[in-house]
Amino acid sequence: MSYLQINNLKKSFKDDHVLKDVNISIEKGEFFVVFGPSGSGKTVLLRLISGIMFQDNGNIQMDGKNINQLNPEERDISMAFQNFALYPHMDAFENIASPLRANKSDDETIDKKVKEVSSLLKIEHVLTHMPKELSNGQKQRTSLARSLISKPSVVLLDDPLRNVDAKIRFEMRLELPKILKEFNTTVIYITQDYREAMALGDRIGVLYDGKFNDIEKPRQVYNNPKSLTSAKLFGDPTINNFTTNVQINNGSININIGDEKFIGKNSNQNINGKYIVGIRPEDVQLSNKKSDNSIKVEFRTKTPLNLKIVYLIKFLNGVEMLCSVSENESLSIDENKELFLNIDYSKIHLFDSNNEETIF
Amino acid sequence: MKPYLWSLFKFLAYIAIIVFFLFPILWIFSMSFQTNDTILQKVPSIFFTPTFKNYIGLWEGEISIEGFATMYVFFKQNLINSLILSVFSVLVTLILGVPAAYAFARYKFKGGEDIAFTLLSFRFAPALLIIIPLNLYFTKIGLYDSYFALVWVYQLITLPLLLWIVRGYFEDISVDIENAYRLDGHSWLKSFFYISIPLARPGIAASALLCFIYAWNNFVFALILGSSSIQPVTVGALAFITASAIPYGLIACGIVVSVLPTLILALFIQKYLVQGLSLGAVKG
Amino acid sequence: MSKVELIKLNKVFESKIGEDVIAVNNFNMNIEHGEIVALLGSSGCGKTTTLRMIAGFETCTDGEIKLDGEKINHLKPSQRNVAMAFEGYALYPPLTVSENISFGLIREKISKSDINKKVDEVINLLEIKDIVDRYPPTISAGQQQRVSLARALVRNSKILLLDEPMSQLEPQLRAVLRARVKDYMQHMKKTVVFVTHDQTEAIALADKIAVMELGDLKQLASPYDISAKPENVFVASFIGEPPMNILKAEYIKKENNVIFKVFNENTSDTFNIKFSDNSIDLSKIKNIINNQIITLGIRPHKIDFTSNSSNIEGNTKIFTSHWLGDQMHVGININNITVIGVAERDFNLKSDSIKINFPSESLNAFDKDTEEVIFNGL
Repeated sequence: MSYLQINNLKKSFKDDHVLKDVNISIEKGEFFVVFGPSGSGKTVLLRLISGIMFQDNGNIQMDGKNINQLNPEERDISMAFQNFALYPHMDAFENIASPLRANKSDDETIDKKVKEVSSLLKIEHVLTHMPKELSNGQKQRTSLARSLISKPSVVLLDDPLRNVDAKIRFEMRLELPKILKEFNTTVIYITQDYREAMALGDRIGVLYDGKFNDIEKPRQVYNNPKSLTSAKLFGDPTINNFTTNVQINNGSININIGDEKFIGKNSNQNINGKYIVGIRPEDVQLSNKKSDNSIKVEFRTKTPLNLKIVYLIKFLNGVEMLCSVSENESLSIDENKELFLNIDYSKIHLFDSNNEETIF
Repeated sequence: MKPYLWSLFKFLAYIAIIVFFLFPILWIFSMSFQTNDTILQKVPSIFFTPTFKNYIGLWEGEISIEGFATMYVFFKQNLINSLILSVFSVLVTLILGVPAAYAFARYKFKGGEDIAFTLLSFRFAPALLIIIPLNLYFTKIGLYDSYFALVWVYQLITLPLLLWIVRGYFEDISVDIENAYRLDGHSWLKSFFYISIPLARPGIAASALLCFIYAWNNFVFALILGSSSIQPVTVGALAFITASAIPYGLIACGIVVSVLPTLILALFIQKYLVQGLSLGAVKG
Repeated sequence: MSKVELIKLNKVFESKIGEDVIAVNNFNMNIEHGEIVALLGSSGCGKTTTLRMIAGFETCTDGEIKLDGEKINHLKPSQRNVAMAFEGYALYPPLTVSENISFGLIREKISKSDINKKVDEVINLLEIKDIVDRYPPTISAGQQQRVSLARALVRNSKILLLDEPMSQLEPQLRAVLRARVKDYMQHMKKTVVFVTHDQTEAIALADKIAVMELGDLKQLASPYDISAKPENVFVASFIGEPPMNILKAEYIKKENNVIFKVFNENTSDTFNIKFSDNSIDLSKIKNIINNQIITLGIRPHKIDFTSNSSNIEGNTKIFTSHWLGDQMHVGININNITVIGVAERDFNLKSDSIKINFPSESLNAFDKDTEEVIFNGL
């Protein structure tokens, strides 16, 4: 029995149909990540769930009860905004205490709880500061403290780590799951960073074209995306993809690249025709030595990326590919000599050349 | 050498400009402590022995003028009228205007911009165009010579002013701050009183002050729509100019007393104006 | 040829109230012909001001700018033979995308077919083919930025100046467009100076990176050296994702071993990293006094998970791990001190207690007060 049930949610702004048909069942205590490109409607979805915006169609149920008609203050849902939305005329203490003042807790309880939460989030030393005196990292934690303090059933986090610097972002990625477990709450978390989505989510909902396209565990979405669009959203550098003739039969796969062919083992169903082939840069091998099935490629340039090296190469027929290689491996590759490329045949993806849906 | 001369020149220029602008005000202030015999000297002098005769006269309602009989001064009542009209005008404007400004800021409804602009256009129209019809209508419905009528008419001046200024301040408040307050569990009304209004306070204070000044300074409506019993200082000042004498000292005293309430209000509100909207609580 | 020399470049913004702002402080840099140089730093560091001085949109309070040996401080921007892509894109609203891109080429007296060829090349490179006939106000910010970049790339100028050229790019396009743009710039042998706050962009594209902070040049080096041989803590922590682990440690020389006693400043937790004398280069630590407190750094990627032995003395537990497809981010707890590591994507985290190594050649040390480097690798 899912805790938060969203059915056929629809929202448009004049001609812009942001959300067309959103459906999701979220379990109690789940950390659910809403991931998608900029403009896909993630923030709109969160605003609809929180009640500060109303949907055109569809309904939202919490714990079996329909909450469509309830005002934001009646929904037992809290939200941490991307731009923090702290009250400028109140100090950090009062900002965090606000939900407890709303449910009329007494001063002693408020004092105790604010101190508890702020100590957990390491901001007890700035409780008397006004928002404009806080750093972005402190503002973000204050906003988080405010959304957690009344132990709501559902917490909505709108890209909370977007506006903080890299060092704090990585720290929070490690600490956030721990902190949230203390509050035993169901979390819906928005991010545009696929790494953050994969690091934090129990499940990831991939939102684009106005609906959820994949709803899977992180490893699943990365390894078995439902379409080329989803495949492109995960992975840096982005998955290589090109359209070409592919034949699979008797456990062997032929991929045509101009006049050459990649031939390898693949145990999928028999196939013959034009398809989109997808292969991730980390599943591609480069070498100066030709091996059985490798194809000669032209080296164009290399760009370092987080202690890996990304090679841009071109096949004879003009198809380009990015290959991601470790620092050590790249030391043994001489780009001035002949270069040969091979792929890991067990990691190939095939997509339909018309609707881009995944074949395997 | 050159920068030093330039600084000296700037300093002298500042002094000259200050003296030029402040001189009339200071002169009037000094005149209020004199009577015609010292004011109208052949050669005006900065030095004089001050007298409180004018101020006392204003307060008691009569003053004796050398060479003539006692003059009756109605000015105190004018002052009270000004205060009543201005204060109530501002109060009505605040009660009507602040929620309206919020509505215009937050809710984009059909024809909203047109209505807002129409209200603003009232300020463009010269008062002289409408006072005769207004006088006739008000007399017909028995509103001639009432505070109520003037306060009502003053809304034409004060309401658009407050609306446009305060609307801007509400628009500057990120709506997410109000949303956050509601998600904390507070009702919309609470968010309006504890979030929206405090954050727009500088704008509300500034426009309240401006409305007070405009209401206080109004002449035409007050002249035509009321008799002497409700006339404010702007109209009442006319009474000083009599066929027998023009008591400049008394007039100066009247001016000083007229300016005082607005000055005090401005100093009092300054605290709220300076506070400013600290948008540091929202990123960017 | 287009060699650029920046000699003691200085820019001060005078202030009527308060202090003057030194936006660029005594900046020295040479840019060789065909080099791609990045000015990297967070906002307010002076990188854009420096770029604008090279372009001629900002006067220099002091110092010289030379192009091919000739001083150009006094020249107007139009006289300097530079092409620039602005942070605000600055596209011509009444012209279509392709007209915007080809606009600058009209002055260069090349044939129409050549212009079309050049323009087609960058349009395909930057994937803006489907908007060539659109007008600037109708396309997205990311697309406008690419058009602005295309317009600057296509020009045949002595220097190419780019102000945050790819900041609005969708994450999925970044790696491939960076590679293509670098390919283009290298093959056209363009001399490029670009400004960015994104260190992955600087590392990907540049031959040389100038890291700036509050007007000062913190380090000028190749991407490899900036990452492996940072000259101060600022550069060390600015570069790298995940960022370098920065730890405080006490240097202890004991018998035939060198021990770094890492400690948490707020609690009493500590753990030791132990090296035997014959496994390290002793000349690198000859200036450190016994029991001196230093700042230690180790990049998450350099932590060794594959060794059978460990040079860490402390209870080592993995408390969280994030599988990210091509790598694994690992949160390590050593006697209650947190360290972030990056492991291979198929790393097997069977049990809690694992053996990790801090390789001596990947250890960085900085003076705890001056923050200058003591050694990069032992």
